[in-house]
Amino acid sequence: MTPEQIKADYIDKIERVGSEKELADLKAAIFGKSGVITELTRSLKDLPNEEKPAAGKKINDLRVEILALCDKKEAELHRAAIERQLNSETLDLSIDKPFRTVGAIHPINQIKKRLTDYFVGNGYIVYDSPEIETDYYNFQALNIPPDHPARDMQDTFFIGDGMLLRSQTSSGQVRLMEKVKPPLKMICPGRVFRADDDSTHSPVFHQMEGLVVDKNVTLCDLKGALEGFAKFIFGGQTRIRFRPSYFPFTEPSVEVDVSCFNCGGEGCRVCKNTGWIEILGAGMVNRKVLANCGIDPDEYQGFAFGLGLDRITMILCEINDIKLLWENDVRFLRAFRGQGGDK
Amino acid sequence: MKLPLSWLSEYVDISGVPAQALSDKLLSIGFEVEEIIEPRKDISGVVVGHVLSIERNVNSEKLWVCQIDIGGEVVQIVTGAQNVSKGDFVPVATVGACLPGGKKIVPAVLRGVDSYGMLCSGGELEVDDDVIDGASVDGILILPKDSKVGENIMHTLGIDDTVLDVSITANRPDCQAVVNIAREIAILLGKKFRAPKFTYKTVDLPAEFPPVRIENKDLCSRYIGRIIKNIKIEKSPKWLRDRLRMCGIRPINNIVDITNYVLLEIGQPLHAFDRRFIDGEIIVRRGKADESIVALDGNKYDVEGSLVIADSHKPLAIAGIMGGEYTSILPDTVDVFLEAARFERSNVRRTSRKIGLRSDSSSRYEKGVDWASTELGSNRALALMDMLDCGQILSGVTADSVETPKQKVITTSKEQICSLLGIDIEKKTIISILKKQGFDVTSKGKVITCTVPLVREDIDAYPDLAEDIMRFYGYDNIVSTNSENTHQTKGGLNVHDVNTDALKAKLTALGLDEILNYSFISPEACDKLLLDPSDYRRGEIAIKNPLSRDISVMRTQLLTCMLSSIARNVTRKNDIMSFFELGKVFIPYELPINKLPDERDVLCIGLCGSGDFYTVKAIVGEVLGIFGITPDYTPCTQPYMHPKQSLSFDIDGAKGEFGKVHPLVCENYDLPNGVYIAHIDLTEALRTPIKVAKSKPISKLPPVDRDLALVMEKSVPVGTLLSAVKAVSPYIEEVKLFDIYDGEQIPDGYKSVAFSMRLQPTDSTFSDAQIKQIVEAVLSKSAEFGAKLR
Repeated sequence: MTPEQIKADYIDKIERVGSEKELADLKAAIFGKSGVITELTRSLKDLPNEEKPAAGKKINDLRVEILALCDKKEAELHRAAIERQLNSETLDLSIDKPFRTVGAIHPINQIKKRLTDYFVGNGYIVYDSPEIETDYYNFQALNIPPDHPARDMQDTFFIGDGMLLRSQTSSGQVRLMEKVKPPLKMICPGRVFRADDDSTHSPVFHQMEGLVVDKNVTLCDLKGALEGFAKFIFGGQTRIRFRPSYFPFTEPSVEVDVSCFNCGGEGCRVCKNTGWIEILGAGMVNRKVLANCGIDPDEYQGFAFGLGLDRITMILCEINDIKLLWENDVRFLRAFRGQGGDK
Repeated sequence: MKLPLSWLSEYVDISGVPAQALSDKLLSIGFEVEEIIEPRKDISGVVVGHVLSIERNVNSEKLWVCQIDIGGEVVQIVTGAQNVSKGDFVPVATVGACLPGGKKIVPAVLRGVDSYGMLCSGGELEVDDDVIDGASVDGILILPKDSKVGENIMHTLGIDDTVLDVSITANRPDCQAVVNIAREIAILLGKKFRAPKFTYKTVDLPAEFPPVRIENKDLCSRYIGRIIKNIKIEKSPKWLRDRLRMCGIRPINNIVDITNYVLLEIGQPLHAFDRRFIDGEIIVRRGKADESIVALDGNKYDVEGSLVIADSHKPLAIAGIMGGEYTSILPDTVDVFLEAARFERSNVRRTSRKIGLRSDSSSRYEKGVDWASTELGSNRALALMDMLDCGQILSGVTADSVETPKQKVITTSKEQICSLLGIDIEKKTIISILKKQGFDVTSKGKVITCTVPLVREDIDAYPDLAEDIMRFYGYDNIVSTNSENTHQTKGGLNVHDVNTDALKAKLTALGLDEILNYSFISPEACDKLLLDPSDYRRGEIAIKNPLSRDISVMRTQLLTCMLSSIARNVTRKNDIMSFFELGKVFIPYELPINKLPDERDVLCIGLCGSGDFYTVKAIVGEVLGIFGITPDYTPCTQPYMHPKQSLSFDIDGAKGEFGKVHPLVCENYDLPNGVYIAHIDLTEALRTPIKVAKSKPISKLPPVDRDLALVMEKSVPVGTLLSAVKAVSPYIEEVKLFDIYDGEQIPDGYKSVAFSMRLQPTDSTFSDAQIKQIVEAVLSKSAEFGAKLR
């Protein structure tokens, strides 16, 4: 066959090919061992030398043209084959199939982590203190001598001679200040115990103590620190309020309220129509406590605060029953598997 | 503390200040009002009526027709009651009135006679004899003859008062008294404080005053005795009884009521003895051996070592707590000995707890009664007795008291106070606020000298003054500052917290939910876990005052809590769960404990319906991997574990066991069979910094995979075999088990184990000979386990 005949014949055949298989057969018929172009090339040797270059070029041009045509056709056919395959792979996208989900950190520990990270970022260290304590660290060093009426503020569990389950993380203040001298900034989160069990109290709960001691620490600095914390946890619009109160280990002592994050202070169900939510107690470290820890109260002053993690967790996570925190019901925990809710 | 507003208003003008506003103001000076107890709202339109005439309804045997003056108006009312007479004063529910239960009064016609209202019984007004005499009788409540016609019955009955329930902080026992809180309110409102009357008439009659001798002056720093002769024991006037009742104290008789009234008003507990039973002198001393006393409650108390008031022969009262029955005021009491004393608060507290007796007096003393109140209280009681004409007050006083204590003096300065607060307050403001509160303040140069009134025992140093200044200066004036004048500090998590975070991140990634449980459990918990009698975990620290037996010992393991939590879920039809708890256990060094116990950090994992032995094994491997620990497992002998499906380990700061829970333990907890647990002491691991992971070289040469199937006896531990296989050549990068089969074609007692090895060349690609050599070596190692190529 002449190049012209081949061109006329096979270009048409290639155009009409319907499958990758047919195309492969056709390519074999053209370029295979006894293919038409192979034959044509082989016939070159019979031509006179002076004709060979022109004839060779012609054959080569034909090969390039047909090959390009084949490649193009092949791509078209492959694409079509894939399309057919995709169409056969329809899934019902509306159903779910289970995959291992991550577990939940207990909500109290989620909130504890948030608060810890906040204070750590503000230069506080985290200090762990024993849960079983001596009377000295839990009371006496904190300016609560034996038989002091302030002991009635907490129903303490006793376990032995001068030993008890700590009723407040404030014991951590004393242990730290005995070891570390100012300037110091610390938080001490942990479990505390009180003989109290009703619809709003559980005998085990969690507190986070905060302590800052340095020269020139003021009550205004306490307000600044707590306002920063309140804005972080309850939102940028939050205001805080100090009310005078009494704790033996601080003087002056204050109760700290935050403006209700739910109503902004207008009064609602969350804040019992007061516009404020009580979240923690605080004050300037009592001079006697500093002295008990070997820190000169004429040189240093400090502030301390203690907040209830369970209460803040219940407020933030909208947990309406304290029992839920301790029942470990899977359905309750499941809600805390995601990182963050809709707020 | 209950604070009736009518009582408060005797000492300070609170007119025009609504109860809510007063509460808000009290909050700003540190007194939280826990409740505003409003008068009853379910009664309206009931007034005092005067019966002008009463005659039978002509149409009825039982009904009476009354003409009643209700103040400026006379109404006709028909009543069926039989106890009303002309001239009586009665409660009249007028037309339109509301009664408890929502009953409304409308005009009616009874047996042909018009009736415009209703006469009320005590029951209909829901009051009884405690409120007013005659309220409990069957019939109309007949009011006292001095009742005011037309007056709102709520007022007549003394039930129209608003009472504030004020929470008094422990540092202000002085404000447990109406007059002292009134003084604070007077400053707060800028009103004048009106002191109660402390004066009275006395007579000079011959009388024998028992001498007073205090043996323990550290426990009783003042004792004043007065005598009132020829007393008339009677009921107190209504206003006094009403006030006691509003404050939760039951009225008894005029003398006792006055002592209680003064307790509430001045904050000074008093005690009245019948003078005739005091024999010889009054001695304040400790109880002698085997001494006891029958108190006013009728019970006998052992008072050995406790402070008592005694006469020359016997104890008369338990000091500050309760008087004795023998010397109590009786209807025939003629002469009264009135005690006002100051007992040391912690001793009253100790004694009260020791003998198990509390009273209004003891709880008041426990909070702290100051030295000056003793005399004030005594005088106020006498003034009231004089006013109520209870008897003849003798001018004499018998007392024993050390000298007036020295008033505390605090020297400070505006600078010192302001440096604590962080704001600037003018010196004259500071001085003026302190003076208003009764401090004696002088100022010279920068120095402020402040003399503390005896009533303020809470004031020790300048920060206390700073607080009292702020209470009235206003805490709203405290601004927020950012510790600008303090040092920068380096914060950070400790190793324990960093490791804990890493651990929890892994556990939650593996799908486990974190649970929390109380730190105390039941003493029977160890039985349920089948622990040996000698097991150290039975040595739990017991709580001396537990809330209940179920939560009375400190846990020494977390299994009990884990299994209980799973069981609770199973009961609630939550069948599938994967839990972990990271908590403390408390291991005493010795029992009874003499030093703080070892608090250990334990991780407990529990799987129910969410995996098998291999799941919990894999989780344990992941957990230990965090700390770089490669465990070496040994058989587990814990009694709560399935003996064939559990392992133990003790390595590199991690100790524990894991596996299937023993079926008997499952029965004890009502658990389905198939609960898997792990219990790992991570105390040391959590305190050791986790090393940063290092990279390993990755070969560019292609690995070769070879699969082998071996037949061996069933007892051969496959894990051990595969570990041995891996150790055959450094070129064996990985050995993966993919099948264990013991069915057809395998002889009885044998199993087929199929695994895949990945061989990784390091320098150049493997030759066939090299590969063959490795496989041969693997086969010969396997032969040591009796394993042959299948």
